Amino acid sequence: MSTTAKRGARGGHAGILAACLLYVGLLLVLPLAGIVWTALKPGLHIVSDTLREPDVRHALLLTFQIAVITVLVTTFFGVIVAWVLVRQRFHGRSFLNALVDLPFALSPVTVGLACFVLFAPGGWLYPFFNARGIQINFALPSMVLVTIFICIPFTIREVVPVLEEIGLDEEDASRTLGASVWHTFRKVSLPNIRWAIAYGIALSTARAIGEIGAVLIVSGLIQGRTETATLFIFRAAEERQLPQAYVVALLLAAISIVLLLAIETFHHRQEREMHSA
Amino acid sequence: MPRWVYSRLGPALFVAIAIVATACSSSSSNASGGGNCDPSASPKFINFVAYSTPREVYDAKILPAFVKLWKTEHDQTIQFTESYAGSTTQAQNVVNGQPADVVALSLAPDVQTIQDAGLITHDWTQAPDGGMVSSSVVVFDVKPGNPKGLKDWNDLTKDGVQVLTPDPAQSGGARWNLISLWGSALRGDVPGIAKGDEAAATTLMQGVTKNVIAYDKSARDSIQNFESGNGDVAITYENEVKTAQAAGGDDTAVYPKGSILIENPVAVVDKNAQKDCVEDIANAFVDYLHTKEAKAYYTETGFLRSTDPKLAAAGDPANGYPAIKDLFTIQDLGGWDALDQKLFSDNGIATQAIAQGG
Amino acid sequence: MSGVAQQVDGRRSRGFLPHRTAAALRHFALRGTAIVYLGLMVALPVAAVLTKGFGDGFDAFRDAMARPGAWAAIRLTLVTSTIAAGVNAVMGTMLAWVLVRYRFPGRRLLSTIVDIPLAIPTLVTGLMILALYGPNSVIGGFFDDLGIRIVFTPIAIVIALCTVSLPLVVRSVQPVLQELDPAEEEAAATLGAGPRTTFRRIVFPAIRSAVVAGTLLTFSRCLGEIGSVILVSGNRTGRTLTAPVFIFQLTSQFRPAEAAAVATLLFAISFVLVLVTTRILRRKEAAA
Repeated sequence: MSTTAKRGARGGHAGILAACLLYVGLLLVLPLAGIVWTALKPGLHIVSDTLREPDVRHALLLTFQIAVITVLVTTFFGVIVAWVLVRQRFHGRSFLNALVDLPFALSPVTVGLACFVLFAPGGWLYPFFNARGIQINFALPSMVLVTIFICIPFTIREVVPVLEEIGLDEEDASRTLGASVWHTFRKVSLPNIRWAIAYGIALSTARAIGEIGAVLIVSGLIQGRTETATLFIFRAAEERQLPQAYVVALLLAAISIVLLLAIETFHHRQEREMHSA
Repeated sequence: MPRWVYSRLGPALFVAIAIVATACSSSSSNASGGGNCDPSASPKFINFVAYSTPREVYDAKILPAFVKLWKTEHDQTIQFTESYAGSTTQAQNVVNGQPADVVALSLAPDVQTIQDAGLITHDWTQAPDGGMVSSSVVVFDVKPGNPKGLKDWNDLTKDGVQVLTPDPAQSGGARWNLISLWGSALRGDVPGIAKGDEAAATTLMQGVTKNVIAYDKSARDSIQNFESGNGDVAITYENEVKTAQAAGGDDTAVYPKGSILIENPVAVVDKNAQKDCVEDIANAFVDYLHTKEAKAYYTETGFLRSTDPKLAAAGDPANGYPAIKDLFTIQDLGGWDALDQKLFSDNGIATQAIAQGG
Repeated sequence: MSGVAQQVDGRRSRGFLPHRTAAALRHFALRGTAIVYLGLMVALPVAAVLTKGFGDGFDAFRDAMARPGAWAAIRLTLVTSTIAAGVNAVMGTMLAWVLVRYRFPGRRLLSTIVDIPLAIPTLVTGLMILALYGPNSVIGGFFDDLGIRIVFTPIAIVIALCTVSLPLVVRSVQPVLQELDPAEEEAAATLGAGPRTTFRRIVFPAIRSAVVAGTLLTFSRCLGEIGSVILVSGNRTGRTLTAPVFIFQLTSQFRPAEAAAVATLLFAISFVLVLVTTRILRRKEAAA
């Protein structure tokens, strides 16, 4: 390439880079800075003041509870589903596969609606739970259920490609050498997919923490009871307590950034595993 | 340890048990029976479900006052769980299973909905003031200085006037607004509309709904939408404007000539209260709301004109409650059933106007 | 005989079940678990919505779509999602290119920032947009004085959608770009092709299906977005009311059948797209 062409190319490169930086800056960096500034405008004390409120504490605790249960369930069953999808052949496998993709295709409000419809009086599952005095809607169970639904694809979609690409030979070798299935899984398969699992966990956690649409419908907005951190932000904005809303939002943003770093790390490790195999 | 514990079955069971345990523990701590009925339970939970606007008066003032009062009188610790949203949405939520021992809603029909579902089995209107605890009137919330010069309902039909009012299917305040419009028109309070002219009143309603730019899900959402800079006027409760002003907003209230007397009921949902073993406390709470002390709380947050229509009309101009020239009640308009049928049924005038307004 | 069978594959039977039976049981136990899990957690709720919406025929759907703003909401959602998908198709590909091919200080940081929408709650995204572009803010106030309102307009909806779906195309294209051998492009350059021709003729065909897949994913994601849009759009019927918020309103109005009908429509559009996306992705992987 001639020098002029090269310089032109470099100019073009700079142009593309500038456009990208501008786009990301306007859409992400600036708004993030904006929320930090708006949240801390009243002074740093606003953070400790807000965190002292019982409603805030409870909201954060509830979010944490829901996230933990969601991650446990989706990871555990997700690995099973991924295994079955990759290592087994049977009729209806592609249907099962499609089911895994379904939560990505649904708006969270639809999920909330589904939960509401199922467990409200007249719903298919209402008689069973009502007879046993178990409250599903307007209580923790419904919030957990909708969050699980929404997080189902994450682990599965990350583990499946890994299982597809690597490990079959090793697993076969291990079995031929006499190891039990469980032993093979623990010592051979699991190490192969551990970064994929970690990646899925990080993604699910972030998604679970950020859920708003579905819980808005099923929670009943009971303060200090069924109010997650996101629902608290929603309500605080309604009660003209914007400083509190922004502080909790900032807190969630900070937690997400930490999760994001985890996501990045696990993603990298996973890629490296896949490529080194 | 048997092999199956280490296999997938074990952990699966463990997780399943964990989930069920969480569900059960949360439902009992949700005070839906169970924990609350234990005589040694402390604190005892009372589920309080209300419409969107009175959160400041209940959350900050009345509920804490009652908790303290009860502790002093009975040496028992009680705690309220609170939920605030559009009145009609809340009523439906309760019917659909939301835990509620006491409901404080915007209008009687919403309490009636819960009663019709069988959850209220006593005549709650036998309480003092017919079960009503607070009252207000309908006003226009405008920008400072009233730049568009809006004085009465006919001004809201003018071209270019952007109106905010909540969604009648979710918010009680929305229904009060439209009822006030209807009543004012029929009683000859609105310039240009002859007394008793239903056709003209219908046209007026259609003219206003044509200018509505958003039907928010509750009265509180509606006024906040207005405060964000949308619209020229928000039709709302007088007490909502006062709450906004107390929070530092520059909301300005314009009083049309006529207004409906807004009366807000509170009732014990006795079926739930019995199940949660808090019926006595709930009843005592509702009684408390009719006392002078509670009334003072309502008044100081802008709620209580008076449940006596004459006094309400006179207001208290010195203290920020202008006199209303023509204050009318639901009874004056023929009662809730007739009014609901005429305005808010599927073929109702208001329902049609909103559908056409689009 | 049994002794021989038990020596198959050098495996001895442990426990009290013959090896083959244990294997089969395990097989089916796993499969059963997977089926029950997905059946209860995914198929059941979706079936409930479908049944609620169309169990009594098309009445609920007709009633829902007859409401003021219903079709406008669908249109608005489709239009804004298309715009956001288009914008991110271009910007996402550019970002992937920049992240893979360029070397500059802060490249890792940029990569991390791009992934922020994957982690951050959508409600917080909405608040961020309000904080920055709301009428009382620095940028928003500036535009407001010029008479240009950003929040509570479809512009804000597009901004929100672009933000929450920003990483999707990037992450779809990036791995493919990484696999590409720059040798081909260098060869083209040596033969005199300008960078644009090289991109058009050599790079883009290779990444095309990744771009398409990422764009479809973005579109599908935007169709259902509620957390950020409900804060910044103002939810004006007929103007800025999107389909997910409309469904939310119907649900809050206790019109679950109508809500379910509209939700099914939205889901149908989205699901078809996701199906297409996975097919393309799988074909791409198979071809790779």
